[in-house]
Amino acid sequence: MTVSATRMPMPGRWTERRREAIAGYLFILPTYIGFIAFVLGPLLGALVISFTRYDLTAQPTFNGLDNYARLLTDTRLHQSYVNTLVYVAAAVVLMNVMGLALAVMLDRKLPMWLRTILRSAYFFPSLVGLAYVAIIWQALFQPDVGIVNYYLTQLGGPRVPWTTSREWVVPAVVIVDVWKNVGFGMLIFLAALQDVPKEVTEAAEVDGAGSWTIFRRVTVPLISPAIFFNVTLTVIGAFQIFESIVVLTGGGPGDASRSVAMYIYEQGFQSFRVGYASAIAMTLFAIIMVVTLIQFRVRRSWVFHE
Amino acid sequence: MSELTAPTGAMAGGSGPVGLGTRVRRSLPTAIAVTILVAGAIGMVAPFLWMLATSMRPATQAFDLPPSWLPWPARIDNFEAAVTGPVPLPRNMFNSAVIAIAIALGQIITCPLAGYAFAKLRFPGRNALFLILLTSLMVPIHVTIIPLFVLMRNIGLVNNPLALILPGITGAFGVFLMRQFFLSLPRELLEAGRIDGAGAFTTYRAIALPLAKPALTALGIISFLGAWNAYFVPLIFLNNVNTATMPIALVLMLGPNRSGNVAEIMAATTIAILPALIVFLVAQRWIVASMTSSGLKG
Repeated sequence: MTVSATRMPMPGRWTERRREAIAGYLFILPTYIGFIAFVLGPLLGALVISFTRYDLTAQPTFNGLDNYARLLTDTRLHQSYVNTLVYVAAAVVLMNVMGLALAVMLDRKLPMWLRTILRSAYFFPSLVGLAYVAIIWQALFQPDVGIVNYYLTQLGGPRVPWTTSREWVVPAVVIVDVWKNVGFGMLIFLAALQDVPKEVTEAAEVDGAGSWTIFRRVTVPLISPAIFFNVTLTVIGAFQIFESIVVLTGGGPGDASRSVAMYIYEQGFQSFRVGYASAIAMTLFAIIMVVTLIQFRVRRSWVFHE
Repeated sequence: MSELTAPTGAMAGGSGPVGLGTRVRRSLPTAIAVTILVAGAIGMVAPFLWMLATSMRPATQAFDLPPSWLPWPARIDNFEAAVTGPVPLPRNMFNSAVIAIAIALGQIITCPLAGYAFAKLRFPGRNALFLILLTSLMVPIHVTIIPLFVLMRNIGLVNNPLALILPGITGAFGVFLMRQFFLSLPRELLEAGRIDGAGAFTTYRAIALPLAKPALTALGIISFLGAWNAYFVPLIFLNNVNTATMPIALVLMLGPNRSGNVAEIMAATTIAILPALIVFLVAQRWIVASMTSSGLKG
């Protein structure tokens, strides 16, 4: 009896486990089919095409590392990469610092209605498409009739050629990008701040720590997972910046505001140098992957875990 | 930020009685903080107000300076002109709606299935498969777009909404979001269903899925808006004004030299932003809750 009682469940349990495993595979099957057909497959496809000469109509012909050799001497590509790195740096610093500052200011006792209105005002633009947002801003940025320059000159500032001058196109793109996305970061940080136990900060206060010290030494470590999450998202997003530039400046003047994503589009779908466009795309993918992996590496040293 | 918090510390150090000190310290920075927040909020809302005001003013007054923020009397002829203009906006809006609804439906079917499996079912290779799937968040669409275009062209789907719908009906982000949700469900709740001898799918259908309604709502809305707002992929697959989606149509209206009629363009942009506004007013709570929880536990 005892033997069978301990033994009996074994096969039953085993098949139950097996059933659960089969169910697991079936559950992820639709997603994995999509993943292989539309992400993994095309990624490998892009890798193969990057070693060929291809114009979308004739058969691709293998040309070894020619496309990759060309990357090194293409000054237009280098300009696009410089611009893109500026966009990434500006996005990461501004969106996170400003998002956190907004969250800190909002994380206090305020009347419910005021809090809701403020939070909504900052968060709403992140739900609106970047193309739509850029269409509004290109009108606001008009040099002579746009309201940005109107209020700027009213305050005694200069009349800025936002979308036409080499010096100002990159700041203009950054302004629109930050304006649109800062509220999302604010929301993430606000939720994290509200999870910081009040006893911890009060204890530090009793010990005589100043507000800045408490913020630096207690609050920031406690919300570091949220900071990490938001920084990772901003980096990946900013490397792919595209439509706001198309609408605001068209990449110009010259290539002064062109991003790598725009350059890939131009090479692949306008100049039909598809092999070369794929080689550029592979470098973009490699850079995003390396940067993200570095972030996850560094994460261990600064992100707080309970 | 240091300017904001530094005075706080100085004031706390200098004040005598604790009660007075904390009161002064709390009230003063709050006044400063609210002032800054309100000023910033005006900057966030102003572009939309200008869009709305311009859409209701005669085109000749679109660039009046100073701008008149209250378009009174309100006129709707810009909206009429935009909708009946050379760019077939109603058609474009219909295209956008079909694609966005199909994608949202696909996501709320496929993503919770996979998210549930990765959170609650045990099978060999589970964590590795989840991590591999997550790496797709690092793959820019600009990298995969050329092979995708070749694929869609070869199966004859260029200028067909399916070219956008098929790759959109599942996604790593949605799976991640749903997994986060299901991880928070206590195991005992699901065990109760299993004791009755129910299979994994029954447990999922009968117990897990109904509990996931808020997360599903958020996922549906986020994927709807994502598709509604998308510009790059439609730009590749839809190269005809009749198959184009809203963002493509609006950029077409803007014209290559940005010479389009501003009042009409702002009217069209107002229409395009409307779904985001409605969603925002109706479902803000769910989106906020699910987005923030994904960030905190991630």
